[in-house]
Amino acid sequence: MGSNAPLICHLCGQEHRAIRLEPGEKALCVRCGAVLAQGVRSGSNTALVFAITGLALVWPATLLPFVSAGKLGAERISLLFTGVRILWNSGMRTLAVLVLLCGGLLPLGYLVILAVLHAPTGLDRQKYCSQVLIRSAIGLEHWAIPEVQVLAVLVAMIKLGSIVNVAIGAGFWCYCAMVFSLLIAQHTSRFNSTVPLSAAGATGAAVPS
Amino acid sequence: MSLRLAGARFKNASTAAALALAAAAMLVPANLLPVLTTETYGQSRSDTIFSGAVELWRQGLWPIAVIVLTASMLIPVLKLVGLGLLLLGARRGASSDSRRLTRLYVAVDFIGRWSMLDVFLAAFLAGLIRFGELATVVPRSGIVAFAAAVVLTVLATQAFDPRSLWRVAPSSSS
Repeated sequence: MGSNAPLICHLCGQEHRAIRLEPGEKALCVRCGAVLAQGVRSGSNTALVFAITGLALVWPATLLPFVSAGKLGAERISLLFTGVRILWNSGMRTLAVLVLLCGGLLPLGYLVILAVLHAPTGLDRQKYCSQVLIRSAIGLEHWAIPEVQVLAVLVAMIKLGSIVNVAIGAGFWCYCAMVFSLLIAQHTSRFNSTVPLSAAGATGAAVPS
Repeated sequence: MSLRLAGARFKNASTAAALALAAAAMLVPANLLPVLTTETYGQSRSDTIFSGAVELWRQGLWPIAVIVLTASMLIPVLKLVGLGLLLLGARRGASSDSRRLTRLYVAVDFIGRWSMLDVFLAAFLAGLIRFGELATVVPRSGIVAFAAAVVLTVLATQAFDPRSLWRVAPSSSS
């Protein structure tokens, strides 16, 4: 996409003319103050690197013991989606699907999309396909919320401390690392929701057109 | 035309208002019905969101109680109040408050996800605490209503078009 394409603020619709940004600089909408574009401070492959790291961590996070709990000699090891299975078997299937999606499948999909979008030839080959992926990535931002699941597990472990003996497993650490990678990839991505799609791929700032 | 603008046809104030009202309705059973039942040594105790947080406070776990209360009670209510203000602002169109309301929209959009805390918490506890007679945690119907309320508030925020806060109202013909 050419750098002459206007930047349209996604919050108020104000059009701006694109100009080049220095690393770390932000272009703000003159009308509503929203961030229109950011000069990339980190390397251009940062998002790709962290997206691939996150993808590599998904499998150990899913397969390794997440948390174990013991009480009077009895021990129970929980995996990432053990709760989803219990909810499903309890008849709360919609809830099970929601937890599976928001805590597992959608973050995975988001990482895949970020990796494809930032792959060296990802954008130029299929422009239409890339636009669909960008739209999907922005849509997934609202529903891929593994960081909330991490907070929930920490709250649960503190809550359970007085009832059972709780031990953190390797799966939980892998999941935390995966969440960290996803957040960095999202933050350094050229295609997050702070950058309007008309400017995606261009290093542009904004002045009123 | 940008993709975001192309997607704008799915956004309108009446859809957002309908979803917000549905979310408000779902918050009633979500707060009245038990979300979790804990069975320990044959004794059963059911907790609503509020009573669970109060119990945490009584046990001295007040930081956790504050987190649960904020995520599960305060944020959904604040989101609905914020959406109400945004819908009123959208009806009025561009005004001196448009910039402030746009910031409110960004805040409402950001905080929504944290309400899912209780849903993840219930799923995690139900999966981990299954020791038969010794201790078992069972999710109850309140958590389904709560999850529905959270999903509806997120959908309501997505259905709201923030650019409607900046539209100049058509002048009335004389």
